[in-house]
Amino acid sequence: MNHIRITTTLGSLDLDVQADFAHEVIVISGENGAGKTTLLRCLAGLEACQGQLQIGGDVWLDSAVKFVKPTEQRNIGFVWSDAVLLPWLDAEANIMLGVKDGDAVWFSKVCEALEVSPLLKRKPAMLSTGEAQRISLARAWYIKPSLLLLDEPFSAQAPDIRLRLRQALKDLQQVLDIPVLMVSHDAEDAKVLAQQHWRMREGKLMNSVASTKVFSTDARR
Amino acid sequence: MIDALIISLQLALTTTLLLLVIALPLAYVLAFKSFRGRTVLEVFVALPLVLPPTVLGYYVLLMIAPDSWLGSAWASVFDTSLAFSFSGMVLASLLYSLPFAVQPMQQAFRAVPESWLELGKTRGMSIKPMLRHIILPASKGGVLVAAALSFAHTMGEFGVVLMVGGSIPGETKVASIALFELVEMQQQEAAQLALILLAVSFIMLSVVYSINRKPLVVGS
Repeated sequence: MNHIRITTTLGSLDLDVQADFAHEVIVISGENGAGKTTLLRCLAGLEACQGQLQIGGDVWLDSAVKFVKPTEQRNIGFVWSDAVLLPWLDAEANIMLGVKDGDAVWFSKVCEALEVSPLLKRKPAMLSTGEAQRISLARAWYIKPSLLLLDEPFSAQAPDIRLRLRQALKDLQQVLDIPVLMVSHDAEDAKVLAQQHWRMREGKLMNSVASTKVFSTDARR
Repeated sequence: MIDALIISLQLALTTTLLLLVIALPLAYVLAFKSFRGRTVLEVFVALPLVLPPTVLGYYVLLMIAPDSWLGSAWASVFDTSLAFSFSGMVLASLLYSLPFAVQPMQQAFRAVPESWLELGKTRGMSIKPMLRHIILPASKGGVLVAAALSFAHTMGEFGVVLMVGGSIPGETKVASIALFELVEMQQQEAAQLALILLAVSFIMLSVVYSINRKPLVVGS
């Protein structure tokens, strides 16, 4: 089980999220400014947060003992709402960014699932918004992350490809057996994908599940 | 005249290559880190922009004098004096041209989009791979500007190299000093040398301005 306890103020947002979840797909929805993206950024370690995080048996944050696991040690797949591709690298190099020992078979599987194989030699300037978004998804999936954080990952996709991407995400989650948190405004994403559906308003989960579990200090690495 | 020109080119090239290595960590620290003493470091780096070259030359001479710590250590290792030598001029040039290397790099590093740095972190990158794979490729324009300005500025040095090098023909007499000496007696040679120095500066600044027309950061 994974645990989130975050109580922190970031700018004008009071984030107060308590939730437990298994290795499943969680769709997060809510109005603009509700704190959805900020929650993902806290999980990634890209925002300084107060509270506790335990993911996949590892403690990532425990403010009580001033412990923060740096982002670079969390093995996160993060997909920004805009693709964030490096413009001087082609699509293939963007997907493989920072990976030392590539897995060619897995790479092909990911590229096929996301329908990006014909795009690999193109620079980002030569990609459409939807194609760039799929390259960014492939980049996040390729590293076999411990946690996949997706911020409106299908927003630029045409309806037909969106259907196939949902299935691909389901398959990937089952293969990797990891938690996936996905921000989406598309009700269909929640209907098809979500094993939990969190609704956020003003920094809070409107349907949060509190847990009394205490974090194991043995899990801290 | 040719000797002086060659020494100037050697000095500018050596200084530029060394400065790129020295300026990189300084620019990184000044662009991304906040720490006590940061302002002092920034002032130290920028000081040669406003300091009279003779003042800088004076302090460098004190620093490398044969009875100084550095001068005596150098003499014991290389069996030669650092003062009035090419190596001494390189040291002085490094200090004199430091802001011309650090500041364009610092500016380019600061302009790297935050999301690219965050991307690097999510890919498990520490400082070195982040520099290699993201910051330096993104700041290529800024690094080229730093190199071009350092080269041009070192080529035009006068006061510092005169004080530290002593204008020894064939050893430390650079083109700008040779021009000063030629101006009264051999006006034709002086005109040629001046034209060459003008052309070098013009070409280097053309490089800087053509790079600056493009964004300092790739893709921004």
